Amino acid sequence: MAGVIDTYLAGLRREFDFDPALGRRMAEEIEAHLWDAAEADPAWPSADAERRAVERFGLARAIAAEFAADAVARQSKRTWIALVATLAVTFVAMRLRQMWLGDVGDLFPTLAPVVDRYAFIAALAVGTVAWFAWRRSWLPLAVCLVAIIASVGAGILRAGLFVDGAPLSVLIAAAGEIALIGLLAFHVIGLGRRLRRTALLRRVR
Amino acid sequence: MLKGHLDAIVLAALEAGPAHGYAVIETIKRASAGTFNLPEGTVYPALHRLEEAGLLASAWSTPPGGRKRRVYSLTKSGTAALAGRRKTWDRFSQAVDTMLGGDKTWPA
Repeated sequence: MAGVIDTYLAGLRREFDFDPALGRRMAEEIEAHLWDAAEADPAWPSADAERRAVERFGLARAIAAEFAADAVARQSKRTWIALVATLAVTFVAMRLRQMWLGDVGDLFPTLAPVVDRYAFIAALAVGTVAWFAWRRSWLPLAVCLVAIIASVGAGILRAGLFVDGAPLSVLIAAAGEIALIGLLAFHVIGLGRRLRRTALLRRVR
Repeated sequence: MLKGHLDAIVLAALEAGPAHGYAVIETIKRASAGTFNLPEGTVYPALHRLEEAGLLASAWSTPPGGRKRRVYSLTKSGTAALAGRRKTWDRFSQAVDTMLGGDKTWPA
């Protein structure tokens, strides 16, 4: 039968489902702490000594909530860096496409240029406002992501990059913006998951 | 109130030399004569946060015949950050002392 400390550590690992690798590391580290504390108890060796060590340590959920809040801060920073990089590369790719399209003409000249331009401006505007007003918020970042996807999608459509003949610089820039959109989506989803998990840990602890 | 100063307290507890989490919490309890009787687990998020910020470094260590533990030590940035926080705290505590002590000369 598992002892009090082993049971506590198993529960702690479960609470770290927002970052299992960190959970394994912390459980390993905290295990040494709990055994040290139990061995220092006058009632050692006994289940009571283990129980008191666990009680003094605090609720696994409360500790996981602290780590989750820190993880949100780190994830938020990574997401903002990804957003800035995506906006910068998308802007460069748009300029390169524009220069090339000046020579060959739009494939879809009516709607695509409007979406390409204004979706990008919307992403830039929402991102700028969110930086000052809702830096830890998930929704504005998700809105930026959707707007950038719309802009890049329209840009690729109007340039017909799937057709032969686009210069290498235009293709490389398009590949770069698509890769960064993937990275941004990964971070936005990760931030949303961590925010939900942190809220849940704080609510039920 | 203590939570806002936990990072500085942890840095100060590691000033004497590298230590693992259990030793850090024991140092805090001893140095505060039991005043800082916080749940022992609260020190780990602080240790991890300070390590992420580059103020602490850590490594696994297993003494002969002993238990494997993660040992934390102050980095150069950590030492500088501790000195900075100490200076801020000195100014703050002096101001609070003056206010609560009824000395009307503050600010000079």
